[in-house]
Amino acid sequence: MVIATRAQEGPSQGRMHLLDRDKIQPALDLALAEGAQYAELRLVCETTNSASLRDGKLHSAIPGQEVGATLRILADGAWGVHSTTDIASIPSQIESTVRLAKAVALRRNRADVGVSLAEVPIIQDELHWNAPKDVREIDLETRLEMMGQVHAEADDDERIISVRCGWSDEHLHHELLTSEGMDRTWSFQRIMTNTMVTARDGDDVVSYRSRTGGEGGLELIEATDLGNMGRTCRESAIRLLSAERAPSGKMTLVADRDLTGVYIHEALGHPCEADLVAAGDSCLEGKLGEKIGSDIVTVIDDPMIRGGYGAYPIDDEGVDTRTKSLIENGVLTDYLNHRETAHKFDLIPNGAARAQDGLHHPLVRMSNTMIMGGNHRDLDELIEDIDHGVFACGSRGGQVDTGRGSFQFAAQEAWLIENGELTNPLKDVSVSGMTLQILKQVDGLTRDAALAAPGFCGKGQTVPVGDGGPLMRIKEALVG
Amino acid sequence: MLPDDALERLMESARAVAKVCESNSLQQWEVVGEQDYGHSIDLEAGKISLAAGGGSGGLGLRVVEDGRYGYAHLADASGAQRAVQDALSIARKSPSIAGFELPVDSGSAATSGLIDRRIIDMSSDDILEQADEILSSVTALDSRAVVTGGGIGAGAGAEVIINSNGIEDGGIHTSHGFGIQVGIDEDDHLTSAYEGSSSRSQLSDVEQVIERAVYWAQITRNTIDSGEVSDCPVLMTAQGFSPLFSMVVPTALMGERIAQGESFWSKRMGEKVIADHLTIIDDRIMEGGMSSSSRDGEGVLTKRQTLVDSGRLQSSLWSTRDACRMVAEGKVEHAQTTGSASRGGYQSPPGTGCGNLLLQSSQKSHSRDSLIEEMDEGYIVHSVMGAHTANPTSGDFSVTTSMVLRVEEGEIIGSLKQAGLSGNIGKALAGDLMLGDKIRSNGSYSSGSMYLPDVLLKQGLRINPA
Repeated sequence: MVIATRAQEGPSQGRMHLLDRDKIQPALDLALAEGAQYAELRLVCETTNSASLRDGKLHSAIPGQEVGATLRILADGAWGVHSTTDIASIPSQIESTVRLAKAVALRRNRADVGVSLAEVPIIQDELHWNAPKDVREIDLETRLEMMGQVHAEADDDERIISVRCGWSDEHLHHELLTSEGMDRTWSFQRIMTNTMVTARDGDDVVSYRSRTGGEGGLELIEATDLGNMGRTCRESAIRLLSAERAPSGKMTLVADRDLTGVYIHEALGHPCEADLVAAGDSCLEGKLGEKIGSDIVTVIDDPMIRGGYGAYPIDDEGVDTRTKSLIENGVLTDYLNHRETAHKFDLIPNGAARAQDGLHHPLVRMSNTMIMGGNHRDLDELIEDIDHGVFACGSRGGQVDTGRGSFQFAAQEAWLIENGELTNPLKDVSVSGMTLQILKQVDGLTRDAALAAPGFCGKGQTVPVGDGGPLMRIKEALVG
Repeated sequence: MLPDDALERLMESARAVAKVCESNSLQQWEVVGEQDYGHSIDLEAGKISLAAGGGSGGLGLRVVEDGRYGYAHLADASGAQRAVQDALSIARKSPSIAGFELPVDSGSAATSGLIDRRIIDMSSDDILEQADEILSSVTALDSRAVVTGGGIGAGAGAEVIINSNGIEDGGIHTSHGFGIQVGIDEDDHLTSAYEGSSSRSQLSDVEQVIERAVYWAQITRNTIDSGEVSDCPVLMTAQGFSPLFSMVVPTALMGERIAQGESFWSKRMGEKVIADHLTIIDDRIMEGGMSSSSRDGEGVLTKRQTLVDSGRLQSSLWSTRDACRMVAEGKVEHAQTTGSASRGGYQSPPGTGCGNLLLQSSQKSHSRDSLIEEMDEGYIVHSVMGAHTANPTSGDFSVTTSMVLRVEEGEIIGSLKQAGLSGNIGKALAGDLMLGDKIRSNGSYSSGSMYLPDVLLKQGLRINPA
């Protein structure tokens, strides 16, 4: 199957569906006739382009298109799923998938409550988040020219031994048909460019990386000062060559926007995912309405922040997205939900069902997660009364054990804070802690909350996310 | 699970794309195809939460003209003409690499142990029964223990490769794997442990894996007061060490990165880089190896190669294009493929990576108990959080662990609730260390599969108790 790869001729222009309603709807009806409570078919067509430069030369460019569909059937309170790239075969898989769901149901203990879905509005519509400069209209020369701007500034020092630049853009076309009568088609697009700079001085070799992009088209990259991105990577890599190893122990930590975002994503966002709560694998189980953070901590997850890398208009169960307030002034106010967990916890579905692609079933996931701004003016005000601490910048990623409530994240570079001043540059700084302790340790936030660099989140499936916040001060954190 | 004619149908699709390549008079072309089928079960909160099945696949096309290459992937052969044009258009904008040509066929070879008919014959009901057994085995070992998450799966796949230089090959592989997160939540104290296993043949170690998961969930319940930050011996179990090793070492052994100066082992070829009793081998033809195959990602016959021999860096990993590019750019005098081309799937062109990476010692290996005795005082770390944040360029890492046991006078005295663990993988491997006697296979954060024993690292690591 080849589907148009240019914007003016493709799906999501309000003129083309990839699922044949005349075949799929009767198939979903058949599932009900076979005893299913609910059946859905979700298709995703991804039109993608990636490219990379190595030391200023084109290394790879890969255009592609992937179409996948997942049939999900709920029968006797249990799920059966069939995923395939062979879209035409789906109607023939209905009966076996109903049987699969029933086989799962048979294994439940009598005491177990079967799966039910919270009710949601049944909508038939199309919604397309078009971009001013559609990613499907970008030519390879433009991608190379943009990455070339980063490379030119990043490479401007003899100690820089390599500069790797990457690019990816994708247009995502979704269709969802359900046995309840939902018939939704939606589309959106994302774009990102990234750079990794490696510097060497004798036997010391270090690297620094950066990303920019979000939901939207080429206009997002055009609005970025790419030369500055390259320059910043170069300067940071050079600085890391002479940076000292970080001190170990408990101390005050100030995090930049990138790390604040990773912190709130790992420490709070994951434990707020209601499928983990339901599985008994979240330290936030039973804590709705409880104070779990300091008064200044307010956290949202919002797929409607256009331009954020985790933005999407409709979730993968066809639920309209909205802003979710997870913590308000330190009080846990909501979980992230899909329809199954919303029913279980008697909450309203809040559009957090996301699947990696057309071949995966939806899980509860974050979108754009942010801690909101506070009252501090700037970094200077945040550090002026710190005698000994660390200011950590740039994310190398993080991880969480949601059940134990422990987390870790790592910075790309850092500075020692001594007597209210930034002093020596540091490298290899990681921070760890316990969610329920450290949220209460947040005692300073600057006013200027915003999303930071694009990211990816793994939970068996990988999805793009945005996260961020203001500069954040944690009174006492374990720095390693 | 796998249609009897899956391989033939896939080869037929690849040949159809090849025919379009020939009709476009391309200088050189390469077509790869993959088709996978499988069953899987998700486990959650002590029960089966979902059963799934299905299949997916597609084709990839690489064209080479005058040392320039382009790539495109396609869902099926009907998109061949568009893919050819896309790949050709990219090739014409790519830099020419002197001497870069697609590999030539150099015979055939078979790697054994990649298919188990019992897996192909497994039905979804069989997998459901296996899931039942896992759930009940966990509870039988400890009535408090619950499988909070995880899953089990079985799969079979066909893959083919054809190129204009005479390579035409294909094969079937199978896999069977499971992973479980076991939690014990009692007296407001939750401990948990993740264990898993995967194999090309039907799993034979399910009970042992379950026992390990329950053991670690149990033993970490006995928490003791945190100590002070200390640079001390650390016994990394195979499961704890593999993620860090896999994040750093395969990358450091890539020929291109060594040639570019991007590896902490750059300019060290022939020199002692790790302890002289250690050897690192990439064995892509290991019988039943999770990353074994008779050909690499661009059709070159694979082999077993020693990368670090008795502590000395002897060779590195190369694919055809990287080798030609580094020679053409004058970064190395000579380089050629080592059969180390790796693909992330048909959606991407081949890069370079390892297959089955083994760490071995010429010295006597030791049981875990004797390593603990040897350590006398220090820590045992069984899993780490944040291994993916390790820096493959420098080898530095700073991670966190909740699976850390304190050892004093050669005995385990209890568990820390949480601790930081930091150091440098390259330096730790060059220091005083001893290896355990049991090799375990694990996946990788970069490429290939890791086959590592427990490692007692006597120097270079820092424990930072929470």
